Amino acid sequence: MKRYGEHRFPGKLFVVEGIDGSGKSTQLMLLHQWLQAEGYGVVFSEWNSSPLVRETTKRGKKKQMLTPSTFSLIHATDFADRMEHNIIPLLKAGAVVLCDRYIYTAFARDVVRGMDPQWVRELYSFAVKPTAAFYYRVPLDVAMKRILDGRSGVKFYEAGMDLSLSEDPEESFGIFQGRILDEYEKMVPEFDLTTVDATLPIEEQQTYMRQIVKAKLAQAKRLRVAP
Amino acid sequence: MREIYAAPLPGMNLAEMPGKLIVIEGTDGVGRSTQIRLLRPWLEQQGRAVLDTAIKRSELAGKGIQQAKEGHTLGRITLSLFYATDFADRLEHEIVPALRAGFVVLTDRYIYSLMARAIVRGADARWIRNVYGFALKPDATFYLRIGVDDLIPRVVFSRGFDYWESGMDIHPSEDMYDSFRKYQAELLTEFELLAKEYNFEVIDATADARMVFEHLRAGVARVLSGEPREPLFSVATPAGEVPEATSKKVLEMPTPVKPAASTSEEPAPAVQALAKAAEGDTKR
Repeated sequence: MKRYGEHRFPGKLFVVEGIDGSGKSTQLMLLHQWLQAEGYGVVFSEWNSSPLVRETTKRGKKKQMLTPSTFSLIHATDFADRMEHNIIPLLKAGAVVLCDRYIYTAFARDVVRGMDPQWVRELYSFAVKPTAAFYYRVPLDVAMKRILDGRSGVKFYEAGMDLSLSEDPEESFGIFQGRILDEYEKMVPEFDLTTVDATLPIEEQQTYMRQIVKAKLAQAKRLRVAP
Repeated sequence: MREIYAAPLPGMNLAEMPGKLIVIEGTDGVGRSTQIRLLRPWLEQQGRAVLDTAIKRSELAGKGIQQAKEGHTLGRITLSLFYATDFADRLEHEIVPALRAGFVVLTDRYIYSLMARAIVRGADARWIRNVYGFALKPDATFYLRIGVDDLIPRVVFSRGFDYWESGMDIHPSEDMYDSFRKYQAELLTEFELLAKEYNFEVIDATADARMVFEHLRAGVARVLSGEPREPLFSVATPAGEVPEATSKKVLEMPTPVKPAASTSEEPAPAVQALAKAAEGDTKR
């Protein structure tokens, strides 16, 4: 079994991380558009999207039967399925793979839920190391405002309601996100995350992201993709 | 005070689990479930409440694993982690509550089968041990030992060869018989290593079911009486060593003890784990 490390596949892997409301998904979508226009074979993979595991995760969330351990393991199962069937074959084929959330999301959430930090890191040691991992750093109040303005409410696990932090979902969400933010900050040096100031204008952030991606793609081949 | 292999799960208090956790291990078709069907009424006749549990029986993941396996598209790491999810759900929602309530928990397979399967499928041995680091150490693990040559007729004349039990996912070019033989031999080799590492009590499963039950019953009776382990089962192990006579006894500590004093086998991680566990129930 290959363990976490630099992969030698011809493809490239870029991932975005950050708390909800950091704007990371918007940035990844803009990057995706640009890479496609540049003629790269680009594939997008989203956190928690494996069809094999979906029903189980849905059930666990709906019935609120997930504990920190099963929450962690079911997400790792989902990730493993995408890694084995999707990400690795695509990297072997020379694709540019874009992931909205990666193992760092699990490290942050699971540790906040009380799982042992070393255990979670070892759990995901089958993952390949990204070519670059962008961390969208945003102050908690800014992210909270973005999220709560745009939505009618937050879901049970999203708000960390399983941790009994507060009876009020919004308050629980704030405390939970604040703790996740602390975990992300600890990971910046540990995993050499590329930090982006997510309070800057969207275009400025995108320009910075494209510069870094472009430098990493210098040797990558372009695939002719049918328009 | 119960022990675990590495770090405990959040909120799991290892004190106050007066029940007994008894594991029946062994490969596919060796007769584990037959033995559990015999053990359960015997225990109940003596007034012991019994919970029996087995792989894939979790409310959370049992059905999902079944469906995923039917498709034969399950990757090896994915399969291992799906099983780990099932195990964690049963541990927290069945096994631990039963142990707290003083039940005898009979488990048809435990983390060892799951480790053996993962390792035979190419998983890193250290990785899979870490995955199951939160498992409770059982009060006893009875390993039903059989060789491939004795196993084959049992499987052929009962349920026949099964895709996964024959390891067809890892030996796809072989026919079922050749694949079964090869896969089971690999599994059994792995079980022998685990038997040594985790100090299994070995029972010769080539004998008829009644004889196996006699041995098992004697072993379970001993665990329930709290007597120390003795070399009851004089089955010679292949490497020529004899199952250990002592240790493995799980002491019922009258009061919670200081972490450092409670274990001598694994120094650093176990002490850390126990220290954390001593912080106690926080969330439940």
